[in-house]
Amino acid sequence: MLDLDVTDRRAWEAALAAVIDDSGRIDVLVNAAGHHEDALLANMSDTGWQEVLDSNLTGTFFGCRCVAKPMMAQRAGRIVNIASLSALSAPVGQTNYAAAKAGVVALSRTLAREVARAGVTVNTVCPGYIDTDALAGMDEDARKAAMRTVPMRRFGRPDEVAAAVVFLACPDAAYITGSVLKIDGGIH
Amino acid sequence: MSSAQSELKEKIKAILVEELMLSEEPAEIGDEMALFGEGLGLDSVDALQLVVALEKHFGLKVEDAEKAKQILQNVNSIAAAIGAGGSA
Repeated sequence: MLDLDVTDRRAWEAALAAVIDDSGRIDVLVNAAGHHEDALLANMSDTGWQEVLDSNLTGTFFGCRCVAKPMMAQRAGRIVNIASLSALSAPVGQTNYAAAKAGVVALSRTLAREVARAGVTVNTVCPGYIDTDALAGMDEDARKAAMRTVPMRRFGRPDEVAAAVVFLACPDAAYITGSVLKIDGGIH
Repeated sequence: MSSAQSELKEKIKAILVEELMLSEEPAEIGDEMALFGEGLGLDSVDALQLVVALEKHFGLKVEDAEKAKQILQNVNSIAAAIGAGGSA
């Protein structure tokens, strides 16, 4: 287990070196780190904008760039980037997060085309409401209001997202690349 | 041309076909055939994959775009670069 600040380019390089040192190759990268800091755009601070872009989008860029050439040299690799339903749903109060996650979707679809013939796949998962720490700050009224927008009438579980990520990383998913998979209980 | 040179060129052609998933046979690629544009018709995505492959197979480091333009012209220019500094 390695600690890694995804906004630190050098930390990525050190982590990759440790993985290569340990196993001689890098098979899978899942970019899952990120955070949100909600505010209406008119009230959004510079740091509120920048930090959300840094952790969600620039972190994903650093990670992908770090593994791209090693995976191309191996002629095999799986990258799964975790975006969010916010990338597609225009949520009020999340211009920073929505822009960052939409950026992750666009980055992934474009990178998928750049590394396709090297046998490297790049896909994006867009979770909706998933019961994690990210939803812990919601009060009961907000939870109920959110739940009403979900046709399945429940929030997702983290393991339901993990199952999709595992599938996209496995050999059976070899011909799936540049795809965007929503996991949202049917919201959109 | 020495047999080592001709073996190197055959290996480069085989790598081109294999690493870039080309539908051509290695023998269809001429030593002087342009790799990009008219000729083999490779694109910038192929160029990156080729740079990665040449480092992997021959230890040839292509540091910048200008050097890449010079080295990746055709099979002969790649062979010359490997002969000059790579570890074929």
